[in-house]
This record gives sequence, C-alpha cells and structure tokens, in this order.
Amino acid sequence: MRDIIALAGRELKQHKRRTFAVIIGYALTVAFLVILAAVLLYSRVVQNITIGEAGTYFVTWLPACGDISSLSEEELAKLARGIIPAVCKSKCENCTGCNKKPVDILNEGFVINTNGTRLLTLDLVAKIRALPLIKDASACLMFRFRDPQTNTIFAVGGIDVQSSAVSTNCCAASDLIEGNFLTGSSTGRVLVDIGFAGNHGLKCGSTLVVASETFEVAGIINSGARPVKPDVIMLFADAERVINRRIHNPLENEANLILIESRDATVHGKALEDVKTLMKGDSLLTTGCYFPAAKAIGLNTRLIWAFMALVAAAAMLFSARIQWASVIERRRSFAILKAIGWNNRVIILQQLAETLAQSVAGSLAGLVAGLAVLLLVPVNNLLGIDATMTGVLNPGLFAAVVVFAVTAGVLAGLLPVLLVIRQRPAEALRRI
Amino acid sequence: MSLLQVENVAKSFFQRGNELKIFSEVSFAVEPGELLLISGRSGTGKSTLLNLLGGLEPVSAGRIVFNGRVVTDLSMSELAELRATGIGMIFQNFNLIPGWSARENVEAVLMHRGISQTERLQRSTAILTELGLGDRLHNLPAELSVGQQQRVAIARTLVNDPAMILADEPTGDVDPETADEILHLLLPRIKSGRTAMIVASHGLFNPALATRTACLKDGKLHL
Repeated sequence: MRDIIALAGRELKQHKRRTFAVIIGYALTVAFLVILAAVLLYSRVVQNITIGEAGTYFVTWLPACGDISSLSEEELAKLARGIIPAVCKSKCENCTGCNKKPVDILNEGFVINTNGTRLLTLDLVAKIRALPLIKDASACLMFRFRDPQTNTIFAVGGIDVQSSAVSTNCCAASDLIEGNFLTGSSTGRVLVDIGFAGNHGLKCGSTLVVASETFEVAGIINSGARPVKPDVIMLFADAERVINRRIHNPLENEANLILIESRDATVHGKALEDVKTLMKGDSLLTTGCYFPAAKAIGLNTRLIWAFMALVAAAAMLFSARIQWASVIERRRSFAILKAIGWNNRVIILQQLAETLAQSVAGSLAGLVAGLAVLLLVPVNNLLGIDATMTGVLNPGLFAAVVVFAVTAGVLAGLLPVLLVIRQRPAEALRRI
Repeated sequence: MSLLQVENVAKSFFQRGNELKIFSEVSFAVEPGELLLISGRSGTGKSTLLNLLGGLEPVSAGRIVFNGRVVTDLSMSELAELRATGIGMIFQNFNLIPGWSARENVEAVLMHRGISQTERLQRSTAILTELGLGDRLHNLPAELSVGQQQRVAIARTLVNDPAMILADEPTGDVDPETADEILHLLLPRIKSGRTAMIVASHGLFNPALATRTACLKDGKLHL
C-alpha cells in the first residue's frame, strides 16, 4: 500500500497543472454545495418565520345543516322542538344542536361571523387539544342576537381569555384601543369591537343589554383580520348564559367554534389534516394565508433542491471528464505496467489513491471557502430576516457534502479506469 | 517436460467482420538454456506470437504450457503474475513509461511483490550499472538515446531474473556496436542455463548466436 500511495503522490506531482485543476474543481463544487445546502436549511428557518407570520392558527366548525329558508313553517316549528327534517339528517355527525334551535330561528342562531353553524361537544375540543401537532384548542361560542327594541343584529362571542388559541384567532390584549382586557373574573363585562362601538356610541363604562342582561363595556378593541370577529366579546360562561335565554334547550358543555393553534409552521399543514380527520363530515377550517405562503415557499425550496442537484450532477460530470482525460492519457502506461506484471487490482488502487487525494484535498478546501463565504456574507441582513445563518451551519451538513463530493469523485475516477483496464495489454499497446 | 511447449497454436484477428488469419498449427518446445530465433518478414506475426507466449493476448486455438502451467487457461491476474515472476519481455519499441526515470522503470517490475524498497533500489541500480547506465539512473526515457532506452528495457527484463525472455527485435533499433553489447549481456545468462530466450527478428539478429532457428512464413512456423 505504501508503494501505491507513493506512486499516486508521484503521479500527482508530475502533473501539477492537472492536479491543481482537479482540486480547484472539487473546491469550487464543494464550496457551492455547502453554500446552497446552508441556504436551503436557512430557507426552512425563514419558511417557519414566514408561515408563522401568515398564521399557525385556524378555526374549525360544522356549517349549519340545510338552508332553513327552504323549510316549511311546519318543519321550522318541528325543528325548533328538536325534530330533525329529513333534508338535515344526513349532516348530523358530531352535531349536538338539533334540539337547541334559537327561539327566533330566522334572525338568531349560532354563527361564525355571518355563516350559520351547528354545535359541537366540548369533548371534541379536548380531543383536538390532545392531538400531537396541536399546541392549543379552545371552545368558543358565537351567537347572533337580535335586539328586540332596536331590531339591531349583532354577534356575541364567548371566549376563554386564558387560551393562546383565542389570542391568535379572536382577540388579544394587544388589540385593546381603550379600557381593559377581560380577565377570568370579568363576569358581567364585555369587550366591544371598534366598529360596533362607533355605530352604537359605546365607550368604556357604557352598558350594553344582551338577551335582557346588562353588561358593562370594559374595553374597545380592534382585532384586525382575525378569523373570528364578534361585535361583542364576553367570558364563555356569560355567553352560555345569555345564549341559553334565546334557545329552546340549554347548552350542555357545547360550543359552535373551536379555535386552534398548531405546534409550529413546519407541522401546520399536517395539523390541519389531523383536525379535519377528527372532525369528520363536512367540517370547515379557516386556513388564512397558510396555503399560498406555504406553496410559494415550497416552490422556492424545490427550486433550490433542483439547482443543488444540477450543481452536483455538473460537478460529477466535471470530475468524470478530468479523470477520464487523465486515464485516457495513461492508457499506454497502464498497458505497459500490465505487460510487465502489474495486475488490475494494483492499477485500480493507484487510481483510487490519486482520486481520493484530489477529492479530499479539494473538498476540504471547498468546505473552508464555503464556510468563509457563509460567515462573512450577512445573508440575514440582506434578506431582512431576524434569524442568523450560524444556526444552520452544522458538522453533519459539512460531513454530508464532503462525503458526497469524495464519493462522486471516487466513482468518477474509478469508472474510466475500470473500462480501460479491461483491455488486453497487447491490444492497448498496438492501438495507442 | 520442456520449459515451454506450444501446441497447435493459431491466431486470427477480426477486422470489420472479416477473419484475418495470422498463423495456425504452430507447435514447438523450448528448453532452458536455449535461444530460439524466429525470423520472418514484417507482418508475418512474429510479435503476435511473442504476445501469445507472454499471455498479452489470447490464442484463437491451441495450447501454451510454461513451466507446467497452461498459460492459455490462466486468468488475467494469473497471467500478470506469470509475467511478473517467470517471463520477461523486451519490446521492439521498448515500452518505457515516459514520466518515470530509468531506475523507476526498472524498479516497477519489482513493485507490489513484497520486495522492500531498499532491495528494489539496490537491484535496479545494480542492473542498470551493469548495463552501463549508472550515470543515467534519474533520466527520463526522453533524455536517453535509443540505445540507452533499449538497455533500460533489457535491464527491466533482467532485473527480474526470468526463466524465459521473449525479445522482439532486441537489436533492431541500435547500431551494430550497441547490438553487440546487448548480446553480450544477454547471452551469458542463456548459456549458463538460467534462462531461455525466444527472439523475433526480421533479419537483424545474427542466426549464428541462436541454438535453433525457425521461420514464420505463409501462416506456418517452419522449424
């Protein structure tokens, strides 16, 4: 083996220009691959941030069963007493609300913003919260009331103020414009949306009557573009109490919306799927900007992967081209060595030693160069991303790139020599 | 048993689908200490016959037995081993590796055979010095005259002390004086019975030096 290494070293020294070109080729390729791989990993960090900003939260509900406007007076009267019309029966899975229809079935009811919903048990909320990819799930009531004095229609939301899923899906203390946010002991107090407050002249300290019960306005909020936007927000228990006054049978551990937050952006898509599976039937989900953002980012990631594969293939071809030229140039020498008694194994090992030396030297040089670029160029500043590149630089990544380059180089070096040494020495000597 | 036995050997080449018969039914034997001169015009297949004997290419028919081993049945690696230990070849155009010095070319034969580097250097230096190239050890082939290159090629063959030497026009490209020197190096080894030699020549080798002569003509070997 010492002879083989010594001969390989001598061969590389004798062809300094070729050796230098091969090492530079490997170095450039590895540097490029290291930079691309790091950018790819970095893009996942950026992806998490972007999708996180687009939203890792969503709401699920069951849409109202059937179009009640198509029901007859008799069917509506029966429905109000809990007798389900045939047209609605197929949509009853997971729904508990058929005997809890509003007294004023044409104007009032359970809604998400403007759309009617059915009811769900709180057990289902607990099941969703227990899903591995779910960070938090919270029951929410949203009911559309009609003020019999003014005929005003408004939506009341009942929330659990402690829940993080509520703060992302409905409202948070940071939405407060004036007054105080609700706490767990804010019974009898409400938050009012800025638009509703403006239309009805409500301020902090004003009173508001909901289903004959008077509430004090604790704060005015602007909850922006959240999926659940009631006009009036109160504690879940308060909402349950006032809603019970407007439906035929009282709620029993029920809600009509489930506010959900997934664990993080990377699992958000899967979390949506899991909830959809658990909900069964015709449940709906709000997905916000998640899908367009994820699609755009996924596209970019795939493009980088494709580009990386292209660079890797080009690197292999480049390496194979140089190694091929080197082997072809030495076909006669190989034939002479075989004619004086060298066997194929020795010739292959010598070529392997040469290729290994070049690819290892080139890969290490490329690794250093790639790292230098990554550490010296402030990619995060250029992209305006609040995450550092150093977080994605890990030994595993570097080892993988070097192992890939060396393996590719060895293959590229061995294939031509394996083809050349198959030739009989006399044939090679006669032709070359 | 003879050192070398050639039995009904034939060789053909295929060119563009056509069979080109070089020779057939070649049979002869060579004993240790014998110098067999195979003469014939250019293109009659003398070099090809030497290549077959050295296992550098396969026979089309027949059998070659060297030292009791059937050369024609050996694998590529066994043939390589045979050339490394038992058969030395001197090529018409020397076949020296251009990037290697005279000593490295000679030393190459001893490599990968478990011989220490010190011994390899000693033996290659000694044989080159014996052949008058003691001051040319580190020269590349291109820096040597044709005669010196021929002597490096011979040194490469002799350093191995083979049982049989196959020489293709060993004195073909050198002046009569150098040819004489070369023969003086080779002949004592043959006369001592240490080795046998088969020389292929188209007339430049003195037949009087051979113990036996044969002629390749019209695809047959005439002994």
